[in-house]
Amino acid sequence: MLRRQFLSLAVSTSLLLAGVAGSASAQMAEAITEPVTISFYNYNLASAGIGREATLELIAKFEEANPNVKVEPIGAPSNEVLSRVQADMVAGLDVDVAQLVFRDLIYAAEELGAQPLEDVAGDELAKHALGFVPAGLALGEVDGKTYGLAYVFSTPVMFINRDLFKQAGLDPDQPPRTWEEVKTAGKAIAEKTGKHGFFPGAYGPTDGTFVYQSIVMSNGGGKVRDGNTLTFADKDQADAVAMLRDLMDSGAHARIDVGAHMDTFQSGNLGMFLYTSAILNRMESAAQGNFELGLAPMPSFGEKPTAPTNSGSAVFMFSQDPVKQRAAWELMKFLTSDEAYTIITSKIGYLPLRPGIVNDERYLKGWLEQNPKYRANLEQLDRLTPNVAFGGPNYRQVENMMKDAMTEAVFGSGDPRQVLKAAQEQAQPLMPAN
Amino acid sequence: MTTSPNTRRFAAHLVMIGLSALAIFPVYWMVQTSFRPESEVFSTALWPATPTLENYRRVIEVMPIFGILWNTVLMAAATTAAQVVTGLLAAWALVRWRFPGGRLAHSLIALSWLVPFQVVMIPNYVLATRLGLLDTIAGLVVPNAAAAFAVLVLYNAMRGFPREVVEAARMDGAGSLRTLIEVVIPNLRAPIASVSILCFISAWNEYFWPLLLIRKIENSVVQIGLQFFMSQEGNDWGLLMAAATLASLPILLIYLVLQRQVVESFMKSGIR
Amino acid sequence: MSHTAIATSMPIATPRLPRITLRAFEPWLYLAPALAVLIVWTYVPLLEAFELSFYQWNMLPRSQPRYVGFDNYLNLLNLPDMQQAVINTVLYTVGLLPLSVGVPLVVALLTAQLTGPARNLYRGLIFVPMIVAPIVAAIVWRWLLNEDHGLANQWLRSFGFDTIGFLRDPDVALWTLVWITGWKLIGFSTLLFAAADSAINPSYIEAARMDGATSWQIVRDIRVPLLSPTILLLSLMTVLFGAQWSFVYINALTGGGPLRSTTNVYYLMWEYGFKTMSAGWSTAAGMLVFLVFGLVALVCLALMKKLAVYDD
Repeated sequence: MLRRQFLSLAVSTSLLLAGVAGSASAQMAEAITEPVTISFYNYNLASAGIGREATLELIAKFEEANPNVKVEPIGAPSNEVLSRVQADMVAGLDVDVAQLVFRDLIYAAEELGAQPLEDVAGDELAKHALGFVPAGLALGEVDGKTYGLAYVFSTPVMFINRDLFKQAGLDPDQPPRTWEEVKTAGKAIAEKTGKHGFFPGAYGPTDGTFVYQSIVMSNGGGKVRDGNTLTFADKDQADAVAMLRDLMDSGAHARIDVGAHMDTFQSGNLGMFLYTSAILNRMESAAQGNFELGLAPMPSFGEKPTAPTNSGSAVFMFSQDPVKQRAAWELMKFLTSDEAYTIITSKIGYLPLRPGIVNDERYLKGWLEQNPKYRANLEQLDRLTPNVAFGGPNYRQVENMMKDAMTEAVFGSGDPRQVLKAAQEQAQPLMPAN
Repeated sequence: MTTSPNTRRFAAHLVMIGLSALAIFPVYWMVQTSFRPESEVFSTALWPATPTLENYRRVIEVMPIFGILWNTVLMAAATTAAQVVTGLLAAWALVRWRFPGGRLAHSLIALSWLVPFQVVMIPNYVLATRLGLLDTIAGLVVPNAAAAFAVLVLYNAMRGFPREVVEAARMDGAGSLRTLIEVVIPNLRAPIASVSILCFISAWNEYFWPLLLIRKIENSVVQIGLQFFMSQEGNDWGLLMAAATLASLPILLIYLVLQRQVVESFMKSGIR
Repeated sequence: MSHTAIATSMPIATPRLPRITLRAFEPWLYLAPALAVLIVWTYVPLLEAFELSFYQWNMLPRSQPRYVGFDNYLNLLNLPDMQQAVINTVLYTVGLLPLSVGVPLVVALLTAQLTGPARNLYRGLIFVPMIVAPIVAAIVWRWLLNEDHGLANQWLRSFGFDTIGFLRDPDVALWTLVWITGWKLIGFSTLLFAAADSAINPSYIEAARMDGATSWQIVRDIRVPLLSPTILLLSLMTVLFGAQWSFVYINALTGGGPLRSTTNVYYLMWEYGFKTMSAGWSTAAGMLVFLVFGLVALVCLALMKKLAVYDD
């Protein structure tokens, strides 16, 4: 009795607050004729620096071009933004557009009620997507429909400490292209300089799994799950992790505090650092006066093509109201336009979703000529491989278990393949059944 | 008893110097790092080779740090005041009377200390939003207007208050509120001071609730302000340490000025 | 006067008065503000949480709660890391006790013989960590303890020792977090002990001295027993809140790693309960934490009543 009352209290209050949550998504309005305000949840706004400045600039430009739309920006750190969006939905506040990381893609689509853009925007989506990289729309796709429009994202690149390369007798202009070469170079750096050879940003508490997924999918294309069946312990996938373990055993892979890898690289104690290109700006200013920074594409397994996987985020539409949907769509279109990517790429350092602009005088051509280092990052764009998100209510646990197992396989003493297999069996029941 | 008092005193000094150094060294490190240019951030030299105020300049430039500090002072002061007042009143009720339900009330207050804040966070967020407290300093204060800790400590302090004095006040015809204000509180300055200090520090260091509730940087408090210099795209250590130094400065200054009183109030408060 | 009077005090409960109706109401007036805040902001949500812990629901209006009985609880208790987390929680508590109780007790007794500005200076300095923002404390310690660019390891090296992977080595990381947590507490506990110590009636010590007791005997037989309420209080707080105190540092520094070596019950609940978007998991986690630590509190309080020596 009592129980039911409490629950109905909880349910009814949130229902009341949210208004009637209609799931029927009518076609959005044709145009905006009256002033309208939409909320924009964004994590670049939650930290000081270029990301925030560029985002504010984008919003200002958008408002200028769309005088009837006012954007209310709400900043939250990237690991908190999903909780914030959800809390606000529970509290009955209007969430219109949100920038969410790719790991939450399926959750956003299935549970939070992100709008499928094909249904809302119809042909406009396909028209807008012309000029995207080939995998462009696929980055935000769930079951054949686009829920997230890829926004600020990057891929793993290899940061090189050129000074350490020279000290180890290696040629910094010929950085390792394959994992075999990483092993050789890493060992040389560790032995000759006493510093660390190689480290991927794949194990730390805030690292996510995109570096790990990139490495795995570069070994023949196998993913960490196939539908709702976990496959991260399958042969190719496990071999990739075993390769890292082999690097570790050989001394080429650093054994450091996994939460402080950026510090280790910035302080000049690490030769090769595989991590998101989004930190390029930070690494450059840290290296200034300390060591010479180099950049290389991510290493490959022999002749197999690499599968650079996107870190970063997509923008999602949650508006219910047709007019707000139109305003939200206009904002999303603007954020992924040629003009916006010129700002995003040149100022923040993310990849352009529209590669055409790098050779266009009006946009990035001039900038790229001044920043040739960035080419290593651009080269990977045409092989961009979507990050695999997990579905179901336990998706975060599953992802954590996979990451923990991978870390243990590399850092621990057990057989890496066995460790992965055990974790896969343990995590499978947490996946959705169908 | 083989050691002389002098030797023992010397040993005591030695131990204390060691412990004091351990206590303040990290604080020193924070401050000196805030004066380092970016290229020196990871140097292990004890003092920056080329000290600079650049980090401070940039903190002030990118963030309304003084407004944020002011918000934090307001928030912490209001929270402290509320917790002390509600604490004094509740403690007085529990000490002054023995009444049906008193034990239950006492246990309810004590048990609330054990409720993990994450459990009540979302319901509180919903409620705060309905009350229009979203993105306001009041929203940071109201849910924390009473603290089990304050009630319990003040309860213990009041229990130690001599009964005869209270009785005498009652004989003089003083009501319970007058007795509390005119007799009990003036004699509880030390415990009230210690409780206030601890409440202030804990309010100052509050993190998760403001993170959820505050939306605009102008309405923010320092703990969230610090977060502003950390992101997945790399942390700006020099700026962070400058901001952290600025954030600790007010509380450190208050502490330095009041140091003797703080220590003494703890000595006298008999929190135990 | 009140401070030394603790010894002779007693509850000031007065006998019930004739005007019972009005009187019976009076204490509740005083309790009302505190109780109102706690009921509205803690207990109502707690009851809702209790209810929700039997459902699977993400709290969103667009989805329906589904009754799952005790499933949420069973899932949590069966987490593969739970056993490790329970062991670690005990380790954290045991490791914190020397820092939150042992060292401060010794320091308080030692400084009691010091006089003048030196004593105040020491007591002032060791209080400083208490006012450092936890996130900053975490970052600075991570820095100082880093194997490559940290000062601590540089000193170890220059003295010819091997470096220590304070946050890297699974055998060491937990103790590093214990140290950082304890570092913030030493000063606070010391002040409490010093306060309690200065409240000891000097005539006891004088009398013992007259009887020819050594200062060690005085410490052992008089001062420590008389400090036992403070010892027990701080031990109780360490047991009840140690896991929560260390949580901040686990969250900021290790995320439970390396190789799950620093996770504890509270962090596990956070990671699998509160951080997941499921209201069922998180409320079940919260109820478990509340229940377990509530029980521990009751046991400890009962023990305290038995063990404490009061000066009366």
